[in-house]
This record gives sequence, C-alpha cells and structure tokens, in this order.
Amino acid sequence: MIEVENLTKKYGALTAVDRISFKTKPGEIVGLLGPNGAGKTTTMRMLTGFLPPTEGSARISGHDIDTDSIEARRAVGYMPERIPVYPDMTVRAYVTFWARLRGMRRPASQVDKVLKQVQLFDRRDTLIRHLSKGMRQRLGLAQALVHDPPVIILDEPTIGIDPQQVIEVRETVRALRANHTVLLSTHILSEAEHVCDRVLIINKGQIVAQGKPGDLREKLQGGALLYVEIGGATAKDAKALLAGIPNVTSVEKEDKGWRLRISTSVDVRGEVSKRIMSAGYTLLEMRAETTSLEAIFLELISKEGSAT
Amino acid sequence: MSTWVVFRREVAHYAGSPFAYLIAFAILVLTGLLFREELVATETTIPNPAVIPNALSFFMVVFAPLLTMRLVAEEKREGTLELLLTAPVPDGSIVIGKFLGAWFYYTIVIGITLLYQIALSSVTAPDLGHTIAAYIGIWLYGGATLSVGILFSALTENQIVAAFLSMVALFLLWLADLAGQVISNIDAARVVRALSLQGHYSTSFAVGLVRMEDMVFFLGIILIMIYLATRAVESNRWR
Ligand SMILES: Nc1ncnc2c1ncn2[C@@H]1O[C@H](COP(=O)(O)OP(=O)(O)OP(=O)(O)O)[C@@H](O)[C@H]1O
Ligand SMILES: [Mg+2]
Repeated sequence: MIEVENLTKKYGALTAVDRISFKTKPGEIVGLLGPNGAGKTTTMRMLTGFLPPTEGSARISGHDIDTDSIEARRAVGYMPERIPVYPDMTVRAYVTFWARLRGMRRPASQVDKVLKQVQLFDRRDTLIRHLSKGMRQRLGLAQALVHDPPVIILDEPTIGIDPQQVIEVRETVRALRANHTVLLSTHILSEAEHVCDRVLIINKGQIVAQGKPGDLREKLQGGALLYVEIGGATAKDAKALLAGIPNVTSVEKEDKGWRLRISTSVDVRGEVSKRIMSAGYTLLEMRAETTSLEAIFLELISKEGSAT
Repeated sequence: MSTWVVFRREVAHYAGSPFAYLIAFAILVLTGLLFREELVATETTIPNPAVIPNALSFFMVVFAPLLTMRLVAEEKREGTLELLLTAPVPDGSIVIGKFLGAWFYYTIVIGITLLYQIALSSVTAPDLGHTIAAYIGIWLYGGATLSVGILFSALTENQIVAAFLSMVALFLLWLADLAGQVISNIDAARVVRALSLQGHYSTSFAVGLVRMEDMVFFLGIILIMIYLATRAVESNRWR
C-alpha cells in the first residue's frame, strides 16, 4: 500500500514534483500517466528511497520513506526506467544477487519461479550482455519481483519493446495484482487503460485528473461518443432529429455522418436507430467512439500548459 | 549480510574478468623478473627477503587504481547504483563490500607471490620473520591504496578519470616519503613522512619491523577512505 501526502521535489529552482497526494489500495494497479518531464520518474525515485523528498511525506506499507527508509525500501520492488544490468553476470546470478541483497537467504527456488514467470527460465545461464532489449526488460521485471514485495513500482515497463512483448509484459503485470500493489508509469494512454485499475494523470509535477480509466474518459469528455451515418435525410433534418434524442448533448458534423455526445453512460443506440427508422431514413452506420481519450489527454495537458 | 552479498559479487566479478587476470599477470611477471635478479644475485650476496613486497609498494601506485576504478564509477554509469541505493541496506555496507572484494583479490595475488619466497628458501635460508613482516606490511599497504582507489571511483562516472586521479594521489603519497628525506626542516620532514604511505612501510615492515603505529596508520587510511567514499556514493541521492 502506498500513501503519498504533498510530496514535492525541487531540483534547484525547478519543481519537478509539486505537492502530489494519493493513496493506493492493496491489489490495485495504479498508473501514473503523463508526458515527458511530467515528474513520473522523480515521484518513483522518492517512493523507492533513492531520492529524499524536498517536502511532504509518503508511506510504503505503513513505513515512512524518510524516517523508516530501510523498512520502506524492503517493501518495494523497483524497475527503473533504464534497466540497470551487470552485463557480465548470468540471468540467474543477477536475479539471485538482488534477491540476496534484499535479505533472502535461500533465494534459489524463488529465483527460478520468477524467471519462469517472465519467461526467462530457458535463458537462466545466458550472460546478460547477450540478451535482447525485450529480454532485458523482462529481467528488470524479474529483479523487481523476486523478493515478493507488497509494493511494486515500474517506471515505463513497456518502453522500447515490440508489440508482442508489450502484450506479454502487460499480462505479467496484470497477473501481479492478486498479491501486490503496483504503481506503473507510462506516457501511453491505451496502456494505462488496459493495465490499470486507476489512473493518475500528472503534468508539470501535479496531478491534473484521476480515476478509473472508463470513468475518467466519461468525466473528461462529458459522456460517451457515438458516430452515426444517416441515408435519405438532408443535413439540417438529420441534425435536428439527432439533437432531439434524450441524453444527446451535442451533435457535430463528422465526415459523412455525425458525432453525438451522450451525457451519461446510458445506451442510446436503440433509441437512435428507432427514431431514424420511424422518420423514414436509413441507418448506414453507427459505432461507439472510444479512442478519444488520447485527444482528451492532449487537450488536458495543453490546457495546463497554456495556463502557466 | 549485505556487505557479504556485495563482496561475493565483486569477487565473482574479478574471477571472471579478463582485465583482472591481466593485472594479476602483470604483477606476477614484474615481481617474477625481480625475483630472478635476486636469485642470480644469491651467488654473491645475501638476498633481501622483502624484495617482492618492496617492489609491490611501488607497483600498487599503478595497479590499485586499475583494480578499483570500476567499482563505483561503473555502477553509476550503468544505472545500477540507483537500484543499489533503493535496496534495504546502508550505503556504507555496499562500499565496504566492494572494498573487501578488491582487497581479497589483491590478497590472492600477493599470496601467489609467496611461491617465489618458497622457491627462495629452497636455495638459501632467508630470514622468515623478515619476510612475514614485509608481507603483513604490503598487505595493509595494498589495502590502503585500494581504499584510495575506491574513493576516486566513487567521485566520478568515468573509470579512466577515476584511475588517473587515484594514480596521481597515490604517486604523491608515495613521493611524500622521498620529499620527507630531502626536506631540510626536520619537523616538516617528519610530518610529510608521517603522512606518506612509504614512510610507514620502508623503514618498518620492509626491514622486518611490525609496529603498531604503522598498522594503525594503514587501517586508519582505509577507514577514512571508506567513510569518504560512502559519503560520495550517498551524494548521488542529492543531485
Ligand atoms: N537529476 C535531475 N536534476 C535536475 N533536474 C532533473 C533531474 N531529474 C529530472 N529533472 C527534471 O525534472 C523534471 C521531471 O523529470 P522526470 O524524469 O521525473 O519526468 P518523467 O515524467 O519521468 O519524464 P519521462 O517521460 O521523460 O521519463 C524534468 O523537467 C527534468 O528535466
Ligand atoms: Mg521518466
């Protein structure tokens, strides 16, 4: 469990993390989503005990990162942004080293288990210098998991690897939530959506929005979006018809059809098709639009940017 | 516990590192050549039982930096230091583990040069006490040079810079002894010599004397250097 209160980090005059506060529940995967330079890595470095905060406090499994640093660090598994490796060690020796350093006395069986979990068991005797980028990424994950910490902090775990491996890493992370609290950072929105139970959007060191990925989208875009194409109606008539449907808050022209903004998460599709039919028009196409969280994310961030 | 874990990793690294073997090889060849000279000379003179430790006292000015330059600098450059500093262990235990790893490797290498001494005792009857004293001295002396090396390794990310700076530092410490011999002011000379590495070796261990003050001097240097190196490692948290 992670509890963060007004955590702040200043590098000289630059405030990289600005009074952020949040809490995670056990078994929750929380995403820290933000553009480059938002302060994701800095936040994680404070939580893992690498950097002391300038102000504020945080607790990991109840241990204060400042006054009880060693115990707090014991409760964390950390995978930094750039995977730190010893090229001259074998996969197994590397994971064993970290397990021992974090206090495990006989880590052999746990090391094997975690290597199987990240699909590196077949490579256990390979020198790290001979591993591909994707394998190193999974090695970084293995190292973070090996001592079975209650809290796992992953800094951009899927950066720079191919789509197949991205899926595998995401699945591994999803599987962790049974026994761990996971905090991961990413600047890829769809990743946060797929993997996380809750997302904190961070920009310029501050949390600008947070919530479940689905809720967040609805809240930010003010409901769901529906694309509708109608045959046999003039633009004016079609627009009037669509705007008259309950729960539709706005209608905009989009390509050959219309984009409807729905105020709540009610399903209006039945109503839309019924009304089009009874007015004597034909329904050519209707689909829910979901990708626009990306646009909202960008909007949110640029709004922040122009405000300062 | 954590010191032991780090120590084991460092020893395993030396054991698998071609560069470390190269340094060991160079030390053994250089001391071997000197030993040969000494053997040849046994026909006319009595051999000096401390000839190999004496040579090592100069060689370590070059070899200690080469053995220690990567210890912290490489961790910094590869980013592994960040992970080490998030492990639930005191920063000092990491530095101590690394230092002991280097000292252990050095111990093995000078241990091998003992073979020369055994060969020598089969030819003549050298003063065994004198040899043992010189080896105790060079063992502590080597530890002190390695601790200087680890401090410079902790001060930079660049191994070459670390090696260069510690060579300069060790060379100055080595020279201080010579300086102490030529300075005319007796008190100043005494101070300079008291601070030099050689000053605590060449007139004591090298002539067969094991003195408490010299042992304390070398152990003190080691402790101070480890303390400073730990502070340097810690400073990575304050960037
Ligand atoms: N050691 C440092 N010294 C000075 N400034 C720093 C340092 N580390 C980070 N910063 C600055 O702090 C801000 C936040 O950086 P941080 O690395 O936390 O961002 P991030 O969200 O992880 O970005 P990215 O997606 O690029 O990894 C940036 O403006 C960065 O330039
Ligand atoms: Mg980052």
